[in-house]
Amino acid sequence: MGKRGIGVLLAGLLAVALLSGCGGKQEAPAEEKPGVRQDEGPSDGQNEVQGGEESKDSVIVAMGVTSEPEAGFDPAYGWGAGEHVHEPLIQSTLTVTTADLQIGYDLATDMEVSEDGMTWTVTIRDGVRFTDQEPLTAEDVAFTYNTVKEISSVNDFTMLDRAEAVDECTVVFHMTKPYSIWPYTMAIVGIVPEHAYGPDYGQNPIGSGRYMLKQWDKGQQVILEANPDYYGEAPKMQQVTILFMEEDAAFAAAKAGQVDLAYTAASYGDQTVEGYDLLSFETVDNRGFNLPAMEPGERDGVAVGNAFTSQVEVRRAINIGLDRQEMLENVLNGHGTPAYSVCDKMPWYNPDSQVEYDREKAIEILEEAGWKAGADGIREKDGVRAAFTLLYPASDSVRQALAADTGNQLRELGIEVTIEGVGWDTAYTRAQSEPLMWGWGAHTPMELYNIYHTLDGSAEYSPYANPWVDRYMDEALAASDLEKSYELWQKAQWDGTTGITQEGDIPWIWLVNIDHLYWSRQGLKVAEQKLHPHGHGWSIVNNVDQWSWE
Amino acid sequence: MKKSFLGWNGRKRTFVLFTLALVLLGVVTLWGQLGAEKALETDFSRKDLAPCLAYPFGTDWMGRDMFLRTLTGLSMSIRIGLLAAGVSALVAVVLGTAAATLGRRVDSVITWVIDLVMGIPHILLLILISYACGRGFRGVVTGVALTHWTSLARVMRGEVLQLKEAPYIQMAEKLGTKRLAIIRKHMLPHLFPQFLVGLILMFPHAILHEASITFLGFGLSPEQPAIGVILSESMKYLAMGKWWLALFPGLLLVLTVVLFDVAGESLRRLLDPGSAHV
Repeated sequence: MGKRGIGVLLAGLLAVALLSGCGGKQEAPAEEKPGVRQDEGPSDGQNEVQGGEESKDSVIVAMGVTSEPEAGFDPAYGWGAGEHVHEPLIQSTLTVTTADLQIGYDLATDMEVSEDGMTWTVTIRDGVRFTDQEPLTAEDVAFTYNTVKEISSVNDFTMLDRAEAVDECTVVFHMTKPYSIWPYTMAIVGIVPEHAYGPDYGQNPIGSGRYMLKQWDKGQQVILEANPDYYGEAPKMQQVTILFMEEDAAFAAAKAGQVDLAYTAASYGDQTVEGYDLLSFETVDNRGFNLPAMEPGERDGVAVGNAFTSQVEVRRAINIGLDRQEMLENVLNGHGTPAYSVCDKMPWYNPDSQVEYDREKAIEILEEAGWKAGADGIREKDGVRAAFTLLYPASDSVRQALAADTGNQLRELGIEVTIEGVGWDTAYTRAQSEPLMWGWGAHTPMELYNIYHTLDGSAEYSPYANPWVDRYMDEALAASDLEKSYELWQKAQWDGTTGITQEGDIPWIWLVNIDHLYWSRQGLKVAEQKLHPHGHGWSIVNNVDQWSWE
Repeated sequence: MKKSFLGWNGRKRTFVLFTLALVLLGVVTLWGQLGAEKALETDFSRKDLAPCLAYPFGTDWMGRDMFLRTLTGLSMSIRIGLLAAGVSALVAVVLGTAAATLGRRVDSVITWVIDLVMGIPHILLLILISYACGRGFRGVVTGVALTHWTSLARVMRGEVLQLKEAPYIQMAEKLGTKRLAIIRKHMLPHLFPQFLVGLILMFPHAILHEASITFLGFGLSPEQPAIGVILSESMKYLAMGKWWLALFPGLLLVLTVVLFDVAGESLRRLLDPGSAHV
């Protein structure tokens, strides 16, 4: 009996070990990484010397596993230009976004748009060479844009008709419709060489950017080396190693002193790592949820709209009834800023979006609109219960916590919120009738368009339609002047009488912008960052060429 | 022979052990059910507390009471285990008996199906079925039920084949007893202990599978208090020194599995003539 008991206990322990073993597997490569790196040769040996005397010109950065570009370093398959935008490093872009998210030049030296907005003429720098010594010409630029238009699966290039090289250093973009924010698109498309582009380009990218791909061990690391022939200021960091790790592995790697900069999350914010500082960067990486703004119905067999959230008073009450500051403390340990729009602090942000937290007022709005508390404290009106299911992506613990906190706060207004984790396979369709906790934030006003502009009668991600909002955004795209278009984007948010803010239709509630946090080895000077967009990944190394060691 | 405790004989002791295991499991199930509402509650003012008197298992990053969460998770696991093992055992008995009694052709088809299901790695099939059924409670139960009947079905088939050749069955046949009557009167009583023990020993298996599939993210949704969810979440916090999130739920899972095993083993001893009188 005794022996048998021990046997069973051992079996049980084994089972638990097996369970946790499965989770451990994905971290295994991370543990091997330092070994791989040590084999790299003498240039890497110095990384073991913490704060060594010799001046270092290499840096090791740990990013999340999802940051590894699945399809390689090909702009047509999302490198730099995908869901999470960042500078492509290996390739050059025509324009760049500056620290305040205006437009600056990289390859381009001048650009001009025709009066009707249908052609963009861009002149490019002379004497730029790809890293295989072939010159970069307007032909390559035109080829790049025609290629991405044809095959890009992650970006919308329907506004571009075709690109044409008129001479060595002038390229003309023929548009299908006026698109004033074209410079923002030009800032994310890396220019590829026509002579060296093929199906395996993603694996062997050749560009004219600050860095060259030296080595890529899939599932583990990417090593970038400075381009000695770079036309701009020579990179200070000669070698950049990117490791792909889970959050806890990145934390462990920092603790073990194996990386110079490791991404981390707010839940680790109260920890300390010896020899490292916690760096925090402000972002437009926002979280918020949609409130379907149409009456329940059905479209193409999909349930659309929501009886409760289709009431504008309800949406207004929710918007001012949420204490964003408290949420920041609760969920992010204070590492974030309150969000009031999808584009806080961007040049096209309308400050009228901001609201003051006022629970009393929220309750007043609900009462006035006829939502009276029932026996269990949950409000009701005409047989509709003040309740909804708040969905969140099951894999995201921060969004789960935000959803839970939203639920707790709304409960005090007499609104019942049930939270449910869902996969992305069903999330998009369910969001048509139920609120979902989203994450957005990009360096282009196009995001406003994607979220609020109608497409066949209703906005794409959550049922909503306002002809005025549509009109301002259409006008903004048609504007001939970027500066002027910012004003129109702002009007689309609130023009004094209608819009998407508190006084308007408020079809989305924005909660917080999440600070991007990193463990940074003491002595590493990370250059000033522009507001990071959604995606806690490559944005940090946008200007790695300007980093330095003290 | 040593004098036994309280002068109880082996049979009595086994019986007490059996009852004790069942009672403990019952308590966990009930307690978990009653605390289900509270287990979902988040309260950020009490997040990340180490184990203390008020929260014996501590709290997690959303301020959920881990003790209640664990109990509710286990109670859900037990319910899933009961349901899945029950369905599974039923399938096993029906198919096993059918294979043995309905002729060679039926037998070869059923044996082939058993081989087929056994040939695919368990967890893979489980994930596929659960995913196809839309995950959640239903997906997990269906998945576990459809993957766990094979070995018991084999045992049942063998048992029945053997019984068919047994002299007393042959004699009953010769005496003109009807087929159904033979099955009911002579075969089922013999098969019952095997069935019961097989059923109970399937629980721990089902529970561990429920935990693992949820751990891997193909089972219950993360806000649910399920033991697999708890364990997979706790992995992230181990590096931060929040050991209590993994330790207690893990231990309790092992304890539950052991209790089921003890219950099954005791039952076998009580029912199996070879050991019933020890």
